[in-house]
Amino acid sequence: MLRFVPYILKTLWRHRARTLLTVSGAAVALFVFCFVQAVGDGVRNLNAQGEADRTLIVFQANRFCPFTSELPEDYAPQIAKIAGVEKVIPIKVYTNNCRASLDVVVFHGMPPEQLREARAFELSAGSWEPFQKVSDAALVGQNVARRRGLSPGMPFTLGGVTVQVKGVFKSAQPSDDDFVYTHLDFLQRMRGRETVGKVTQFEVRLATNVDSPTVCEAIDDLFRGGPVLTDTRTKGVFQADTVADLAEMIGFAHWLGYACVGLVLALVATTTVMAVQDRISEHALLQTLGFTSLGIFSLVVVESLLLACLGGAIGVVAANLALASHGVSLGTEAVTISFEPSLRLILSGAAVTIAVGILAGIVPGIQAARAQIVPSLRAA
Amino acid sequence: MSLVQIRNLTKTFRKGDQTISPLAGVSLDIERGQFVSLMGASGSGKSTLLNILAGIDRPTSGQVLIENVEVQKLSRTKLAHWRSANVGYIFQMHNLIPVLSAYENIELPLLLLNLSRADRRRRVEIALEAVGLTDRADHYPRQLSGGQEQRVGIARAIVADPTIVVADEPTGDLDSETSEQILNLLRRLNLELGTTLVMVTHDVRAAGVAGRQLRLDHGLLVEQLQPVGAA
Repeated sequence: MLRFVPYILKTLWRHRARTLLTVSGAAVALFVFCFVQAVGDGVRNLNAQGEADRTLIVFQANRFCPFTSELPEDYAPQIAKIAGVEKVIPIKVYTNNCRASLDVVVFHGMPPEQLREARAFELSAGSWEPFQKVSDAALVGQNVARRRGLSPGMPFTLGGVTVQVKGVFKSAQPSDDDFVYTHLDFLQRMRGRETVGKVTQFEVRLATNVDSPTVCEAIDDLFRGGPVLTDTRTKGVFQADTVADLAEMIGFAHWLGYACVGLVLALVATTTVMAVQDRISEHALLQTLGFTSLGIFSLVVVESLLLACLGGAIGVVAANLALASHGVSLGTEAVTISFEPSLRLILSGAAVTIAVGILAGIVPGIQAARAQIVPSLRAA
Repeated sequence: MSLVQIRNLTKTFRKGDQTISPLAGVSLDIERGQFVSLMGASGSGKSTLLNILAGIDRPTSGQVLIENVEVQKLSRTKLAHWRSANVGYIFQMHNLIPVLSAYENIELPLLLLNLSRADRRRRVEIALEAVGLTDRADHYPRQLSGGQEQRVGIARAIVADPTIVVADEPTGDLDSETSEQILNLLRRLNLELGTTLVMVTHDVRAAGVAGRQLRLDHGLLVEQLQPVGAA
C-alpha cells in the first residue's frame, strides 16, 4: 500500500480546497478535544497527587472560602502531638479571586524553613537565600510568572499585597505553579487584614502506614471544645470538595470532547464519500488494471486516515503548544486546576485521530470496493 | 491449442420489463499473436464480449478459457490478480489518472506486480519508447493531446507484457489523422511484439487494420471472410 501513498497524496492535492477545509475542520475539533481532555486531566491530577492521601488539610469547620477560615496558629503544636502526625505546617492563604477564574493567583504564606522542606520544587530563576532573608519576598509559580511577566527582582502587587519576586519555581504538581509563596508572618500582617496568630489552614503530614481518616477524626475531636471548630480532610478530598462544582461542569464539558470526535468523523467521512463519488470511474479503472476490492477499500481508508491525521496532528500539536506556552489554569476558592500539555494528551489525541480516520473511511471504502467495474466505467 | 477459447457464451440482463441478450451463444477461438477486430451495430454486445474477455464482466453462461484458465470461474479477488498479469485494456476515453504524469500512469499496473523499482523503470521506458513518447514522460494528461493521451493508454496496456490486449474503440475519440497514427501503432505492436489484440470498433477502416475481422450480429459472431476495407 505504501507504493500508492504518493497517488493518494496527489489525489488529495487535486481537491486542495476541499482537503484544506476538511483538514482545518479536523484540526480545530482535535484542538478543542485536547483542551477538554487537558481540563479533565487537570482535575484528575489534582485528586491523584502522590501525597494526597498522606497529607491532611485542617480547615475551619463550616467555612469554604479561604477568606473566612481563621484557625488559631497555636493549634499547630497540639496537632503535632497526635499519634501518626509527622509535621504540621501553618498556612495563610490569600487569593485575588474566590470565584472561578482563569487568572487566579493564590498566595500561600508559610514559615520559609518549612516551605523549603515541604515543597519539592526547583527554582528555574532566582534562589532560596534572598527569599529566606527578606520578609516581603515571594517565590512565584511559573504559570503566574509567565502570565504576569514576572522575574526575580521585580515587585508584584495583587489586591493590596506587594511582594518582591525572589525566585520562579516549577513544581512537580502542576496546580502549584499558580501559587505565590510568601513568608507566613508577612501575609498575616498585610494591610487591612491584620490576622497575626491566625492561619487559614494547617497542612498535616502523616507518617507512613497511618490511617488518615482516624487522624482526621482525632484532630477534629481535639478541638471540638475549643474556640474554633475544625474540619479535617485528606488533601485529595479537600481539593476535590473545593472544586466539586467546577469538576461537575468539567465532567459535562467531556461531552464537548466527544462531540468534537463526532464532528471530525462526520467531516472526514463526508469528504471521503464525496471523493469516492467523484472517482467512481477512476476506481473502476484501477480495478480493471488489477486492483482487488480490498486494494480499493484500503486506498479509500488510507485517504481518509491521511485526512484525519493531517488535521489531527495540527490540532494536537497546536493544543499542546498553546497549553505549554500560556500556562492556562482554572481556580476557585484558592484551589487551582492546571491544564498541562502531556504525552498522555498527545497519545489520546493521536489514538482518536487514527480511530476516526479509519472509521470514517470504512463506509465509503466498502462503497468503492463493491462497485461494479463496467457500470462504473460507463459513469465516466 | 488456441490462446483464447470461448464456448457458448451468453449474457442476458434486464432493462425495465425487457430481457436483453447481447450475447446468445458466442463461440470463438483466438490464436496467440492475432489481431482481431470486432464490429457490430450499437448495442450488439461487442463491448460486452470484450469486457468478458478482459475479465471485468461475467457471462450469464458459457466458458471463457484463456491460456487454460477458466476466467469465468475465478473469484473476484483471483480475477483481479489474473487481470493484473494477463490483460491490458485500452479505453476509448483514455482513462488516464489526471494527477499522475504519463510515466506514473504507465507505471500503475506494474505497482501491482512484484517488481523492483529498477525493473519498473526499465519496463516503463520500453513502453514509452514503443509508443514514441519518451520526451513526454513527465507530462500530465492535461498537457498532452488526445492522440498522445491514447498512446499513454496503449503504453499502460502493454507495459506489464499481458497475455492479451483489448481495445474498446481506441480511435473513437480521435480525429482521422490521429486515428491513423494510433491504428498504425497498434498494428506495429502486433507485428513487432507479437501482442495478441482484440479491438472493438465502429470504424470499418480501423477494422481493416486487423488481420481478422469479426462481426456481432443478433448475439452471434460472424466471421468476415472478405476483410472489410479490402474492397
